[in-house]
Amino acid sequence: MNLFSPRAFHWMKMPAVAANEHLPVHQAREGIPEAWDTLFRRYQLPLYVYVFELVHHEQTSLDVVQETFIAAVRHLGSLRDNAKFGSWLFGIAHQKCIQHWRRQGREEIPSDELGELPDEPENSPDELLIQSEQEAEFMNLLNRLPLPQRSVLLLHFVEDFSLEEIARITGTPVGTVKSRLYYAKAALRELVKGET
Amino acid sequence: MKTPRDILLARHRAVEPKLDAIRQAVVGKLNNEETKEPGFPAVFVSWFLGCSENLWRELIFPSRRIWAGLAAVWIVIFIVNFSQRDPERLMARKLPPPSPEAIQAWQQQQRLLAELIGPNEPRAAQPSKPHAPRPSGERSLLIMSA
Repeated sequence: MNLFSPRAFHWMKMPAVAANEHLPVHQAREGIPEAWDTLFRRYQLPLYVYVFELVHHEQTSLDVVQETFIAAVRHLGSLRDNAKFGSWLFGIAHQKCIQHWRRQGREEIPSDELGELPDEPENSPDELLIQSEQEAEFMNLLNRLPLPQRSVLLLHFVEDFSLEEIARITGTPVGTVKSRLYYAKAALRELVKGET
Repeated sequence: MKTPRDILLARHRAVEPKLDAIRQAVVGKLNNEETKEPGFPAVFVSWFLGCSENLWRELIFPSRRIWAGLAAVWIVIFIVNFSQRDPERLMARKLPPPSPEAIQAWQQQQRLLAELIGPNEPRAAQPSKPHAPRPSGERSLLIMSA
């Protein structure tokens, strides 16, 4: 059976993450532990997924998530817009990953020189639907992407962050994020074609 | 059919008990003092740290070699500046006191100068005589008598 048949990827519209979430950020600012519990419960798994798919080490990922939670509690005062709590939290986690790589003597996420982009409307991450038989292959393809592209694609897939939010999380210009996302998707399609 | 998000989350569901433990540990450590809305100093410090972190991340770190080069140039400029300034000060400090002959010669020159240009005090201006207008008849009498 060909896992990468044209039927493998289907494109349609579907909301990825619950829209208009009412997160108790305001209550967390007031120091209500239940509010923090709700916030962390909401983000713990997506955060872990993002970190794990970057560092590929379970214990390190758990440590980064814990450090991110602690930093969030300490520095919530620096968050201006409550609606940006998610991207703010992922930004902390991204910085923790970079710190982890620096501690290991590795350079931060290397920059990639990408060409000009054709004008293309922004797609929803859930336009891509994958058959259950192709899941392992999808993950394999994802992990073969260069780290900067993988980071952007994960943020797009996991939380459907806007280009501006991804730019803020990764500390890169919006144009760079746009091109990374475009080339990551193109690379994913290309890899699919190549495998078939 | 699954979305990429579903696939990614499903792959890591097994780790959720560990994440729950971490969450509970962090939330358990919270007490009202730590999490209450901080006062202005704490907010300012937090904001300042956030700004400096952003400044470091976005402005300094990406071009750290250039900043390091600029810093090195400034250090060199300061070193050169101080190395040129110090000898003058040292020389000024090390100058011997003037000899009595030199002082005498200087005093003599001062005296000579004073003689040439006269006393330094400006002369007191003589008050001008008050000019009272006289009647024209009186002036003509004076002329005739002269």
